[in-house]
Amino acid sequence: MRPRAGAVPLATGILFAAAVYLSPVLFAGSPYVLFLLTQTLCFAIIAIGLNLLLGYTGLVSLGHMGFAGIGAYVTALLMKYGMASFVPALAAGTLAAGIVGILAGMPCLRLRSHFFIIVTLAVGMMLFLFFNNLDWLTGGAAGLPGVPRPRPFDLGFTLVDPRRPVGFYLLAATLFLVVFVFQYALVRSDFGRSLAAIRQDETLAASRGVDVFAHKLTVFALSAAIAGLGGALQVLFLRAAAPQSFGFAEDINLVLIVIVGGAGSLFGPCLGALLFVALPEALRIADVFRMVLFGAALLALALFAPRGLWGLAVAAIGKLRFGKSAAAHVGHS
Amino acid sequence: MSDILEVEAVSKSFGGVRAVDGVNFRIAAPGVYGLIGPNGAGKTTLFDIICGRQFADSGSIRVAGRRIDRLRVHQRTRLGLARTFQECRVLQEETCLDNVLFAAQDKRLGREMLRTFARHTAPPRAVMAEAARLLDLVNLWRSRAEPAGNLSYGQRRLLEIVCSLIAQPRLLLLDEPASGINPTLLNMLRDFLQRMFAERQIVLVIVEHNMEFIMSLASHIVVMHQGRVLEQGPPAAIAASRRVIEAYLG
Repeated sequence: MRPRAGAVPLATGILFAAAVYLSPVLFAGSPYVLFLLTQTLCFAIIAIGLNLLLGYTGLVSLGHMGFAGIGAYVTALLMKYGMASFVPALAAGTLAAGIVGILAGMPCLRLRSHFFIIVTLAVGMMLFLFFNNLDWLTGGAAGLPGVPRPRPFDLGFTLVDPRRPVGFYLLAATLFLVVFVFQYALVRSDFGRSLAAIRQDETLAASRGVDVFAHKLTVFALSAAIAGLGGALQVLFLRAAAPQSFGFAEDINLVLIVIVGGAGSLFGPCLGALLFVALPEALRIADVFRMVLFGAALLALALFAPRGLWGLAVAAIGKLRFGKSAAAHVGHS
Repeated sequence: MSDILEVEAVSKSFGGVRAVDGVNFRIAAPGVYGLIGPNGAGKTTLFDIICGRQFADSGSIRVAGRRIDRLRVHQRTRLGLARTFQECRVLQEETCLDNVLFAAQDKRLGREMLRTFARHTAPPRAVMAEAARLLDLVNLWRSRAEPAGNLSYGQRRLLEIVCSLIAQPRLLLLDEPASGINPTLLNMLRDFLQRMFAERQIVLVIVEHNMEFIMSLASHIVVMHQGRVLEQGPPAAIAASRRVIEAYLG
């Protein structure tokens, strides 16, 4: 049969998974680098969630960290008070974020374009206010400290201990790869094609028989649930939940991660997450100027790489391989 | 047996303008029907109302006896109603072939989700063959791997019609299919539509300003003027009607 657009060869996939899993070996000597890489994986999961919405369906949500927060707080509370062990707590957090996604999506998705964006912003802020002000439940502005890490898993041949940096990294890497494969399967499926049609022309999609609202609501819920999973993982990693991690500044960061990395591509959000977690750290040498440099880098990207860094990389590879003519068609997966 | 399409007393106003004003007509048998009239006669608005892009202020629309005027666009599509757009809409980023295969895809959400993690997500062989045949008939098979946005305007129009037909509609509404198409492609379009009608015996309703094109294709013409049906009948009678000549043909 015909190869579908954006197919990732199996070898590339295995190489990618190996690179993700073997990073701790490379950086075993530096717990700080490992810390940053784990942070990156948590952010990458949230970014993949938003990418389904922003990149593949064309809906910009400015409130997605709110859903990440729902996942984070539900998981954190269940773990902290010993009401559930790791796997059920994580599942509950993910599910809760998905359900809040459906509840928020039902009114929001009735609106179009910029009205939708504004309302998602409001949803994000509302959720932030809950995290920040429900002192008896979430600990309010002081946050929720003392969230325990998951217990060690016995895999038969080895023991993975998430209470140690390498162990948690491996856990995060596994969840990240599961989410990545989910994204891959989803966007290449018939459902993904309907989403792409909605992104390109909603009127046409409806007249081809796509139930636009139901499709949007489904992807919104999935996207919120994935964000919730990422948020939950982040809180378990940091051992504490803080409302500021799910506030407006983080929402902007998240949208930038997806857009700068490359919205609508499989690897783009992962690259974006790596950049956003690692680059400000690397720029620390420039001290007070680091945010200025960061801003300049963003501006350059917006000007020269409208498809994000990943799009730029793919186009460059295409040019090297096939010459100029082929490069024009590369860039959308 | 009930009529295939039954439009009864449909009205629609925009502010003080009655764009469609109590339109009645019925289509009882398969055929090629032309809908003509001067600009602003309400043809496209009537199309939009039949397809669900706009809702009528009053009146009813039935397809095969079933009332559809409160259904949403995708529900009407699933009942066998298809349309093309005056402004010509295709999925610009997708290839020609993907456009056609997407049009043929079963888009019920539950089925889509079930198929997501199934191993065989490739389209069925029969659909593939039909897509290839139709694309070949309009000479687009060789451009199958080309993104639709790269096609010429006329080619995009043909692609849009192929996409509408592959979903096996029983009623296809074409909004000015001949506009912006060069004479060579126009002949191809006429042959293609005649062939499709001969094969499938469905209802084709065509809004058109190109009189030569529509008169040679349609077996029955409905003339609209100022939101109302002015006249209907076979092309020869329409071309001879004094009222139509005064209002439109000049």
